[in-house]
Amino acid sequence: MFDGILTGLTTAVMPFNLLMVVVGCFAGTFIGMIPGLGPVSAVALMIPITYGLDPSSGIILMSGVYYGAVFGGSTSSILINAPGCSSTVVTAFDGYPLAQQNQAGKALALAAYASFTGGTIGALILLVAAPMLATVSLSFQSSDYFALMLLGLTAVAAFSGQGQVIKAMIMTVFGLMVSTVGTDVTSGIPRFIFGNMDLIDGVSFLLLAMATFALAEVLMSVMRGEHLKSQEMDVRNLGSMKLTKEEVKHVAPTALRGSIFGFFVGVLPGAGATIASFLAYGLERNLASAKEKLLFGKGSLRGLVAPESANNAASTGSFVPLLTLGIPGSGTTAIMLGALIAYGIQPGPRLFIDNPDVFWSVIISMYFCNLVLLILNLPLIPYISRLLAVPTQILIPLILFFSIIGVYLVSFNAIDIHIMVFISVIAIFLRFLNFSMAPMLLGFILGDILENNLSRALAIYDGSFSFIWERPLTRYIIVVALLMLLVPPILGHWRSMKLKKYTKQITDRSSD
Amino acid sequence: MVIGKDHIAGLLFLCFSVVYGYFTLQTQLMPGDVQQSFNAQTLPRALSIMGVVLSIALLLTAEVGMEEKFYFRNYKFSLVIQLLLLIVAFAVALKWIGFALSTVFFLASGFWVLGERSIKRILLVSVIFSICTWFMLTRLLDVYLAPGLLFDMFLGS
Repeated sequence: MFDGILTGLTTAVMPFNLLMVVVGCFAGTFIGMIPGLGPVSAVALMIPITYGLDPSSGIILMSGVYYGAVFGGSTSSILINAPGCSSTVVTAFDGYPLAQQNQAGKALALAAYASFTGGTIGALILLVAAPMLATVSLSFQSSDYFALMLLGLTAVAAFSGQGQVIKAMIMTVFGLMVSTVGTDVTSGIPRFIFGNMDLIDGVSFLLLAMATFALAEVLMSVMRGEHLKSQEMDVRNLGSMKLTKEEVKHVAPTALRGSIFGFFVGVLPGAGATIASFLAYGLERNLASAKEKLLFGKGSLRGLVAPESANNAASTGSFVPLLTLGIPGSGTTAIMLGALIAYGIQPGPRLFIDNPDVFWSVIISMYFCNLVLLILNLPLIPYISRLLAVPTQILIPLILFFSIIGVYLVSFNAIDIHIMVFISVIAIFLRFLNFSMAPMLLGFILGDILENNLSRALAIYDGSFSFIWERPLTRYIIVVALLMLLVPPILGHWRSMKLKKYTKQITDRSSD
Repeated sequence: MVIGKDHIAGLLFLCFSVVYGYFTLQTQLMPGDVQQSFNAQTLPRALSIMGVVLSIALLLTAEVGMEEKFYFRNYKFSLVIQLLLLIVAFAVALKWIGFALSTVFFLASGFWVLGERSIKRILLVSVIFSICTWFMLTRLLDVYLAPGLLFDMFLGS
């Protein structure tokens, strides 16, 4: 492990990679700060740039952007009550009231310290847990991988919230369907290309990610009128950023709890930073005294620190399934998986043997990202936050330009821009029907790997599906996947039945 | 019966899955592949069946609450349509007038569409940004950008 850490350190401290960390953190903070744009869009916007870099630098840049965007999202949550992404929604609950009480500087500083704690503890656990898990997963066979892919896809659906499970599953299936367009990897037969040779290699990952996340997200924020919000606040008077000893003592246990809790929630495929921040906030509220509970939602320091430390730790945690099993745990890590595959690197248990520089440098650079965010971004926040004062009618066309030109500069084919517009119109329509795009992208990226592993497992077992019950590991993973998928709707149905019965009893009693 | 978002979504995905299933059956297989337990049609077949089952499940479980109906009043559709048309025009312009000019045209029109009315600011930002990007791409990163067909026609390639 120490050899690995050393490899990671030597790669991560290379001047160019350090520059990537700094550039990534700044770019991420800028993009994450814009209301409506979160880490997924920020990382998607970086894909074309990373194509020109070597794999470690590219992934380091993406990690920097990821962290920066989460940090930037908290800033806009606190200052203007407009979360940049869903994982910082909870930050606004107590952060914005603090800003209204002229304590914006303190809230931003606390958010930064909490993010640093979350990220650092997350990176430390990842440093120990990832290689251990990767060693175990070296014994995995094709059938286990197939089961793991199923687990990853069902987990995304299971964690999508009540009433959304079927829709998330539909989007996953839709993503898998899109992944079957092009030449079949197992037999070399073209599928669903309708005589169009442009489709022989399938739908481009870059085009799909940029159209559904970068372009569609910006257009959705314009459609909702979010581009008008930034003109309503004053970001020049942030107040003091200093914290007293008592305040630090008061929130330190919260940061610690939030970080550890957030990391483990983040590891679960599909759960991610949003659920981690909501759960950590709920946990902290339950642990608080009755008097302190009243402060939650009105500017409680604990209420700000808990979700902030949890969402950063969860962002780190979501790298565990990506780096060790090759399963992305969230939309952002799904895009990173796509980028790694584009480099010809297959994330999974062999990553830390075949590409130790990528594996370790990503982990080490995560720590550097946290340091950069704390040392460089925090003192610069009063200046960076002025970006929120730049008229969005100027910012939005520039972001649109970057997302279009990112795709154009890879293929130099103007047709790709037309296809991008077409896909983003579909994405916007699907968003209107309350469909989430992340499961679609996950299905699209995992489609090929799932099909490959299934065909290999069937070849090993003479064309029989008996591996599902004959191989214990495959069986256990599939059982967990089924439980994840079936238990939440059954529990929800049982609860609603119980509620109906209870209300009926009450109405019967009152009529008597 | 009131039709909600989920009904529309379910019906659309049902149609899509049926069409997908139809084209799956049209996929040509290698001779001998038909008897194989896994061929190019296996996963698409399973997916189309799953698609049909899930869309029927969505149709059956769909609830029509207030938030499940379409409300268009609060959305700025015309803005988005104008921006999309601008992107399409940008793609066409790239071919005819080249990168730098089409970028100026796209950015300036984008600023105007989104409500910027200061002509000085519109021109300043779009021209400076366009020149900087063009310079960075062609001179620093050595990316070749075609000058545009119109320039080729009038000035010769």
